[in-house]
Amino acid sequence: MLTGCGQAPPAQFRLDMTNVVDKQLARPHQAQIANVLGAMFGTPDEPFALGETGLSQRRLHMAAGPVQSNDLGAKRGLYRRHCAHCHGISGDGRGPTAGILNPYPRDYRKGKFKFKGTQYAAKPTHEDLRRIVHDGIPGTAMPSFALLPPDEIDALVEYVKYLSIRGEMETRLEDYVFDAVDPEEELDLEKDEGHREEVMAMLTEIATPWQEAAEQIIVPDESAIPPADRTPEEIAESVAKGRELFYSATKGNCLQCHGPTGLGDGEQTDFDDWSKINKAFIDNTASLETEIEELQKNLAELKGEAHDEAEAELDAKVVELKQRREWMAHLLPPRNAIPRNLRDGSYRGGRRPIDIFWRIYAGIPGMPMPGAAQSGAGGTGLSQEEIWQIVDYVHSLPFEPVSRPQKRPTNVEAVN
Amino acid sequence: MNRFWALVFLTVPVFGVLTFVVAPYFNHWFPPDVSEHGRIIDQLFMFILWLTGILFIATEGALFYFAWKYDRRVNPEPVKFSHGSHTLEVVWTILPAVTLLFIAIYQMNAWADAKMRRPDIPVTAEITGRQFNWDARYPGPDGELHTPDDVVREDGDIHFPAGEEVLLVIKSADVLHSFFLPNLRMKQDVVPGMEQYMWFKSRETGRFDIVCAELCGWGHYRMKGRATFEPRSEFEAWLKAKAEEQNARTVAVAETE
Repeated sequence: MLTGCGQAPPAQFRLDMTNVVDKQLARPHQAQIANVLGAMFGTPDEPFALGETGLSQRRLHMAAGPVQSNDLGAKRGLYRRHCAHCHGISGDGRGPTAGILNPYPRDYRKGKFKFKGTQYAAKPTHEDLRRIVHDGIPGTAMPSFALLPPDEIDALVEYVKYLSIRGEMETRLEDYVFDAVDPEEELDLEKDEGHREEVMAMLTEIATPWQEAAEQIIVPDESAIPPADRTPEEIAESVAKGRELFYSATKGNCLQCHGPTGLGDGEQTDFDDWSKINKAFIDNTASLETEIEELQKNLAELKGEAHDEAEAELDAKVVELKQRREWMAHLLPPRNAIPRNLRDGSYRGGRRPIDIFWRIYAGIPGMPMPGAAQSGAGGTGLSQEEIWQIVDYVHSLPFEPVSRPQKRPTNVEAVN
Repeated sequence: MNRFWALVFLTVPVFGVLTFVVAPYFNHWFPPDVSEHGRIIDQLFMFILWLTGILFIATEGALFYFAWKYDRRVNPEPVKFSHGSHTLEVVWTILPAVTLLFIAIYQMNAWADAKMRRPDIPVTAEITGRQFNWDARYPGPDGELHTPDDVVREDGDIHFPAGEEVLLVIKSADVLHSFFLPNLRMKQDVVPGMEQYMWFKSRETGRFDIVCAELCGWGHYRMKGRATFEPRSEFEAWLKAKAEEQNARTVAVAETE
């Protein structure tokens, strides 16, 4: 093999430093976590999936690795070719272009996916993710990959699942080391049967919902689905009812976020779950700074043993602050979750009535949008009939005269 | 200047001309033209290519000849400067001016056909460029755009009826784009806030590239689509199937995965 110029070092999965720094995991522990993950999931060039994950090794192989194709036209490196520049090698949503995009690319490692047809807490099905890759997400930088052959889309979807399972596993592992492994103890699954069992149980816990996602699909009741051959009057009636629910403070209460005009100009100060994590990290760093200032002030008044103890504590905190500041430079600045403008006619998770139904029924994981079908805790216990009425209302919004942009001057030359 | 350098300079026009000569044999020429009007565009291109090609060869030949002839070693006489020839100046000003004027008039009809004589037919689809995708909105059964029965495709897979005039409205959702159909010899820049029109008629059926021909951001290279030309009946069946898909209120539970 040629080495030196032009030979990039092999791609590596990097640990999620937000969690690592937050938990102040020691370097040996970081290395041990990376080892365990490497043994379970392989590398970006040679990923592998333990049987527990239920992933197809063939598809992962196709999606992973550097971009290449062999003489027979069999491709590899699809993820790096099409996805990694936004979603990152580790699927952390922090690829090189991430910072210039709004919204930010998805971080798969949290295991949350917004646009799916399953219950709120369930994972998306293969078909759900496939649809997103195929159709893209209008209104975001996620393009459609409809021109890719189906087996390549399948491979990419499989790899997204792999990165998500791997990412969730990583977080769980870090939390586990923080909670259950002594600072001096080594995390070695080969040697310690106890840890091994715990870790494998975690993997099963994370991977099983992926395999059982299809059982969690929300199938609307036949009886509640509005018939396809409704008259315009019937549709108008349904729209009117949906409108009432949209504005009802006790039932739909959609206007709280989507605004009284439906332009998404209601509550705009909340954050999505991915930004919340970054925001907490930044806020905690700020409070650590004040803590350090306090300690420094008090230090002068302390004598003897108390002074030494306080000094040691202060030193540790200063080190942590340095690590936090270093990592903060890599974080994407948190952004508010802006409720969707329902009048511009673009639908990120799909424009089919069933897509809108799913969004309203189950809510959108990771976002402030609650599921309307559940009662209590944000949900208002809407019936399926009522949800379909809101679907009709939402679908009618872009076509209301006020939603239409004013007629723009046409190209005078072209009109002739 | 010695003759070695004259020969080195000669390789540049030789290489340039050779590129054009061999390109068609290496499949580096125009993609097949499937449009009704494309022949005229290609003829115009070839006419201008031949005209400029011949002039290019003549000019480069003259340049090489002088560099070769006035090599210092074989031609030690000092340079003589002349004030120039009035007749020559007039000739090489008028000749290009007339040629340019001729080309301008010669192509006028083709330009008018492609950009000015918009056919008086209903719009087939509204195409919207956005970073980095081509979206299509079909008017649906009522023939009106922006009504609830529109069929909207956001996957870049755009279908058109073949063998008949197609009229498109072209818009941008964000920045400058250019809707380019290489096989139809059609290209239209898209300016945010403006509605542009494009019309064409394909002679053949098939699937062809749609590309963006105006640098529009980091994803410009991948802003591709696929234009499928099919007989009217198939086009309508496709549109109907997509309309049904778009109105899905149920879901097939038989998941393959």
